[in-house]
Amino acid sequence: MFSFYLLTVILIISLLFFLLGYNRAKNLINSNKKNLHSLTHYYGIFCSLSALLPTLGVFFIFTICDDFIFAELIKEYIPDEVINSKDYNFTIVLAQINNSVEGLVFGTPPQWVTNAAEIWKSWVIKSNILTVIVCAITILTSGFLSYKKINSEFRSRNAVEKIVMTILAVSSVIAILTTIAIIFSVVFESIRFFALIPYDEFLFGTVWNPQFEGAERAGSGQEGLSQYGAIPLFAGTFLISIIALCVSVPIGLFSAIYLSEYASSKERAFFKPLLEVLAGIPTVVYGFFAALTVAPFLRSSGSMLGLDIASESALAAGLVMGIMIIPFISSLSDDVINAVPQSLRDAGYGLGSTKNETVMKIVLPAALPGVVASIILAVSRAVGETMIVVMAAGLAANLTANPLEAVTTVTSQIVTILVGDQEFESAKTLSAFALALTLIIITLGMNFYALHVVKKYREQYE
Amino acid sequence: MNSKKNDLKSLELTVGDVFSKNARLKARNVNVFYGENKAIDNVTIDIGSREVISFIGPSGCGKSTFLRCFNRMNDTIDSCVIQGEITIDEENIYDKKIDVVPLRARIGMVFQKPNPFPKSIYDNVAYGPRIHGLSENKEHLDNIVEESLKRAGLWQEVSDRLSSPGTGLSGGQQQRLCIARAIAVSPEVILMDEPCSALDPIATAKIEELIHELGNEYSIVIVTHSMQQAARVSKRTAYFHLGKLIEVGKTKEIFTRPKHNQTEAYISGKIG
Repeated sequence: MFSFYLLTVILIISLLFFLLGYNRAKNLINSNKKNLHSLTHYYGIFCSLSALLPTLGVFFIFTICDDFIFAELIKEYIPDEVINSKDYNFTIVLAQINNSVEGLVFGTPPQWVTNAAEIWKSWVIKSNILTVIVCAITILTSGFLSYKKINSEFRSRNAVEKIVMTILAVSSVIAILTTIAIIFSVVFESIRFFALIPYDEFLFGTVWNPQFEGAERAGSGQEGLSQYGAIPLFAGTFLISIIALCVSVPIGLFSAIYLSEYASSKERAFFKPLLEVLAGIPTVVYGFFAALTVAPFLRSSGSMLGLDIASESALAAGLVMGIMIIPFISSLSDDVINAVPQSLRDAGYGLGSTKNETVMKIVLPAALPGVVASIILAVSRAVGETMIVVMAAGLAANLTANPLEAVTTVTSQIVTILVGDQEFESAKTLSAFALALTLIIITLGMNFYALHVVKKYREQYE
Repeated sequence: MNSKKNDLKSLELTVGDVFSKNARLKARNVNVFYGENKAIDNVTIDIGSREVISFIGPSGCGKSTFLRCFNRMNDTIDSCVIQGEITIDEENIYDKKIDVVPLRARIGMVFQKPNPFPKSIYDNVAYGPRIHGLSENKEHLDNIVEESLKRAGLWQEVSDRLSSPGTGLSGGQQQRLCIARAIAVSPEVILMDEPCSALDPIATAKIEELIHELGNEYSIVIVTHSMQQAARVSKRTAYFHLGKLIEVGKTKEIFTRPKHNQTEAYISGKIG
């Protein structure tokens, strides 16, 4: 609540600085009888932003840092016997103190916890006062300095341009940093996993069997029981992805060709949004569809033909996943086919090509790199898809190329490993991060390649 | 009988000699509508064999639209309706029996902007012969490609890189490649829609020279914005204004002694 009030006050004060700057510019015009370099409101915006932004920076640094500083300082107040006890864990102790600060008390906490919480509370008050003082100093000095800067020579429009550019640049840096942070969080856990399991065993092992944690800990000593060979998972992932592509590439591509080349504009306006609705259906709904409709249908029609199809099969998951990624392929391909210049079609017709010849021999080859890029994007989507597989393909890590059997994929294993209470030190839990890292590397590689292909395509008509 | 009466009607509008002794293409009382809009109004004209004729006129006068009637390129526009009669060697091209595919092979077209396919130079030229099955074997196809490139005056520049992409050539070379592509299917007529408007003066000079040479073998209809170009390349000139054919005549006469006052106004730069 404190932060909210403080932020409101900061915003109001910076609005006041807008008025101050604006009025000063107005007065300058009136007294000098001469126009300033920039329009008057730029002077207001300049004043307001140069008061607001540094203050916000200071505010966030204070609010983020104080918890860390308190956590370091509070260590002084934890009794030695607690620190020296066998199952001492600072994170848990800190959580206890924090709960006590928040007023969440379970049972009677030890006296030292209550004391530490009291001390913590007093620090919070002090830090809040400090924050207010520092923010006030910052906003007033920076606002006043910028106000002083305004004279008939000052070019506020250029200054505002610079500030806006900085804000935009910072936003894009945040987006990039987040991606990097995600990758690093996975990398560090993976390093812990690879300290337990050698990476060649993980990458090239053909048996995935992480279920024997209990047996290991019970001292049976048979470490070999728990096996982390990721090949069956990646094989399952690619089997399902290939089935999905066999469904989605022809249907998606042909519907894109129909929409962009054959359909009248009315049909196009009707069908294209309908196809794109497919992309808006949550994947968990596709999962129901796969598990409750497609899989039983496949099983019963398979038994009529004398085929033994598992009720959870790669085929069912792959088919439904294929339907899910149709809009990715059709929509992107439709765009690239439309981007082929009309002049090329005219050239084709002018030489006496039929419609089909024009599409197949001129338009599609010209659009091919873009179409390939759309397929690669669809593949990375299929590889990362989780819900459909969890619900329809099963969890058995079979190493098989038979689409009628149950397989499992990387993503569904990650889900099953991390669902529920897990011990974080065990190889089983950590293996999820190693799987995720490998998957990220594969999909990132695919996306890079797709972007590269698209770039190459763009150069072609320029 | 009926057509003679109509001819007279259009003569009232058009000044000069619309008829040609050895006409290859004949347009009679052609009207073109885009939806409600009348783009071409009752145009009658003959295009002789081995004749270069240029269509001139201010922007939006319908000269390009009329040009595209000759190979039925307007068919690709849904709202476009064409009335009247256009014949090639006495055969009505808008007859229901006519198939546009061989028709367009007989009447080639070169467009305003060079539009080579994003394929190799060889494949660009070989495209037409391939889809129409004009070559018996690889050797024959090679000959057609070489012959077409030679006629388009491009062979010397590209003979050593036939497999490199056609889009990598310069603008003028691309346009000559498009001409080579058009003549590879041995058409009888070549329609050119402002073929030099995207080119620099040197490339333009080369294309004009080429048109001059090709005029000995083909009927060429060229739409142009440049009156100098019309004067340089064509023997006959037709002046269009607001969808009407105002005047047709020998190029020299049109530019020196225009009979219609609108033609004179355009030539002297008062409209356009």
